[in-house]
Amino acid sequence: MTDNMFKGFSVPIYFTDKRKMSNTLTKNLLVRRIAILVFTSFSMIAHCQVISYMDSLNVGKYKGMADFQYKVVENDTILDGPFQLQRSNLGALLSKSDYSFLFKGVFKENYPNGYWKFQFGEFQSDSITQVLDYQYILNITGTQEEAEGILDNGKPDGIWTITKNRIKDSELDEVLFKSTIDFENGVPQKSFRIENEGTILVGRFLRNGLAHDEWTLYSEDDIDVVERWYFKDGRLEKIELNADGENKEINLYQSRILDGRIITLDDNYLKILSVIQQSVDTFDLSQSPINKSLAANAGYYGKIDGILSELGESAFYPEFKVKVPYHPIDSLESAQMDSVKTLYQKSKLISESLLNDTQLTILKMADEDAHFLHSVVVAISENFVHPLGDVLSYHESNILQYVPINELIEHAWPNGKPSTEFVVIGQKNENKIFKGPQASDFDFTQNNIASIYKMAHYATLSLDSIQQVLNDKLTKDKRQQEFIALEERIIAQVNQLNNDLDSLSDKLPLKYMKSFEKIKSTADQNLTRYSKMEETKAKTKFGRHLVRCFESMDILTKALAQQPDRMQVIKEKYQDAIWNPFMANIMNEEVKKRITSAYQRVLIPHLLDRVETELDCDNVDELVGLLNNTHQRMLEMRDEDTSRLERKLKREQDPLVIIQLFNLESIGKTEK
Amino acid sequence: MKVYCKNIVWLSVAFLSCFLSTILAQEAEVLPEESEFKDPSTRVWFNTYGNIRISKRLFWDAQTHFRFEETEDTPFIGQIGQIYNRHAIGYIYSKKVNFSLGGVVRINFNTDENSTARNVVPEWRIWHQYQFAQPLYSAMIYHRIRIEHRWTQGFEENSEYIFRNRWRYMFRAKVPLTNHKLVPKTLYVSPEAELIMQSGKEVVGSVMEDLRLTTTLGYIVTPRLTLAAGLMYSQGQTIENAGIFKQGWTMRFHVYFSPDIRKVKNKLPAIHLDD
Repeated sequence: MTDNMFKGFSVPIYFTDKRKMSNTLTKNLLVRRIAILVFTSFSMIAHCQVISYMDSLNVGKYKGMADFQYKVVENDTILDGPFQLQRSNLGALLSKSDYSFLFKGVFKENYPNGYWKFQFGEFQSDSITQVLDYQYILNITGTQEEAEGILDNGKPDGIWTITKNRIKDSELDEVLFKSTIDFENGVPQKSFRIENEGTILVGRFLRNGLAHDEWTLYSEDDIDVVERWYFKDGRLEKIELNADGENKEINLYQSRILDGRIITLDDNYLKILSVIQQSVDTFDLSQSPINKSLAANAGYYGKIDGILSELGESAFYPEFKVKVPYHPIDSLESAQMDSVKTLYQKSKLISESLLNDTQLTILKMADEDAHFLHSVVVAISENFVHPLGDVLSYHESNILQYVPINELIEHAWPNGKPSTEFVVIGQKNENKIFKGPQASDFDFTQNNIASIYKMAHYATLSLDSIQQVLNDKLTKDKRQQEFIALEERIIAQVNQLNNDLDSLSDKLPLKYMKSFEKIKSTADQNLTRYSKMEETKAKTKFGRHLVRCFESMDILTKALAQQPDRMQVIKEKYQDAIWNPFMANIMNEEVKKRITSAYQRVLIPHLLDRVETELDCDNVDELVGLLNNTHQRMLEMRDEDTSRLERKLKREQDPLVIIQLFNLESIGKTEK
Repeated sequence: MKVYCKNIVWLSVAFLSCFLSTILAQEAEVLPEESEFKDPSTRVWFNTYGNIRISKRLFWDAQTHFRFEETEDTPFIGQIGQIYNRHAIGYIYSKKVNFSLGGVVRINFNTDENSTARNVVPEWRIWHQYQFAQPLYSAMIYHRIRIEHRWTQGFEENSEYIFRNRWRYMFRAKVPLTNHKLVPKTLYVSPEAELIMQSGKEVVGSVMEDLRLTTTLGYIVTPRLTLAAGLMYSQGQTIENAGIFKQGWTMRFHVYFSPDIRKVKNKLPAIHLDD
């Protein structure tokens, strides 16, 4: 990050073109010497030049005003000298609340070196100000975290204290957290003290940072010891704790560790311990107050380590060391664990998708087989998938080699490993046995990684086969439901159509009856065709097609029912009131007779004829369109200048020509 | 119209070429003791009535009648008696009231076989007419006042024109038979009565020139074409002697047509004169 930021200050050095250099060897050597000379002298200058920076700067998520010194060496920005980054915003504080921070210290050759101080504040203010000695004074309330100590080449050295205080009206109200650790070259030494949430943890390290002796946690309110960890040269022998007024003793590494490894005391160590502890169900180590205090402390150190890592080189994280026995894993076992990971992921995916399938939830109520298989998936999920995930997490954290495999298996399957055959409770409370595919090929009775792999394999195979069976069932069920819904729609549409055909036919002239009968028979034929089809995708497609078709037929029925009225409308529309001088009255004269005649005598009979003879789902929309648009066109043409059209219409009897002349063709495009 | 005009010219030339001069005997004007009624003559009239709209308010009234008279040699339809051209410009005051003013030229043919006088003579008229219509239930009734200023001459050579005025009133009704109103495709019956009075120096006593009683059956083919046929009984004083009445039975055949020669855009709005 710092590289990019100071790119502008870098000094570019260009070498001479290579082709020229290859001309002669002597020339080449000379140029190279000059280049080296130039480069070295620039480097020297760069080394000596310390640049000050005073502007805003982002360090991770912290953005504030920076004031520091640096130098550029070989295009790299090297922090060197005092460093300060801070932020506080009075406006924000007054309006709501302010987050402030201050990082202050010294860098040497990009390493934090010397006294460092970190402050993080989160304050509100009551906005009441006082003026004192030429200064405005404002009371603040909130929390402040503070860390200070010496860093030596990026590593804590000497006593580091981290505190978190609650501030009320600018005065210390309560210490929320305080840790004091003595380091030597980054290694915790001697004794440490962590105050957290009303508890105090004290313990000590050997010179090499290994935890040693008693680590004791007291409660501030209680005189009794709450928890005690007994270390011996980094080996945690036992834990004593007082939970709910009851003393418990958890035995861990009782005997001397022959082949041991030194690891960091962190979450992973606790995971290891949870396997090692003899009495599994007595205590959840993650709830251990000592663990909580250590975790809180680690959190604060991590925060500062993050900032220092962003700025320069550092290793601030406090490495509390412990010793654990080593159980080596060979490359085959490691590869098997990698396979377990793949299998586990697949199994998890299948089981989760099945267990979260609402369709299956419904289906299992009705389908006995589905119910059984669902129960099997639940059982596999509980007895295979989840424990495998647990085992896998040790592999993922790279601590599998620190736990004995049989204890890990015992930890993951406290009730023993499942068998290839297992019993689930059926729908009627009866016992049913599940046996997965190739069950006889799987033997995972042994407590080793190979067994774990076999279990993972068996679980995946079983789930896969179950998924296939259930998916078939679900797809079938889904399809049946689709059919039911589709058929309901079809029937509703047919009923609607028949109702309209019946009710509208009453008022219609006889010549429309044939059309109505055709609509009815076409609908019936299509429905019969549908019902005779096998339940395939084609049937669904055809069913959807029919819904649309019947809808269109219904529109056609309505359009036909309107036709007599429409013709009357057209007849009236194509009349001019004229004065008859002999009768001295007004008479209506038909106008544009060729148009009305073509409409009444050719076009409409043609359309009715088409309905009667060739109506089908494929042309119903076209016929509806022609009927409706013909009417619309007739209304329009009354007021248009149609003299040319009328000339062309003379004695025209071909409906297709009339359709074209009336400009209906664009609408009846599918006209064959 | 061109066809009609051509026919008229052709007929006129034909009859003129066949001219045979006859002299009409002058009768003594002595009133008889009792009114004398001549034997009714029979006639057949073929009448065309054109009413050609030329503007919003004006129309051209164009009538051509072919009137045939029965003679002893030519019974029933008879021979041509008059060709009658009546033209006028009409003014539409309202849908129910209109006025006309125009002229008539009538070609009179001598139908007297014994006559040696001229065979054909023209007759001239200026006429104006006032027509009023009223709806009455499903029927329509019409009042027509027609005033004609008429110059006629006898068939004798060098006979003088005589001038007379004619005063005509006609009452007519048209009753639809096959519909509730007079609209196209309707058969109607039309009774009519027309009294024609005349005056002038030559008119001594014979003031009632003609009383025409007609019943016509008509059919409205389209708003612009109506066909009708009727039978008319007429009687009137002869000009020569007020005591002597001529009578006649006339079969009349009518074609009524009313084209509109205006451009389409001028036709709109139709005929809403009062709007």
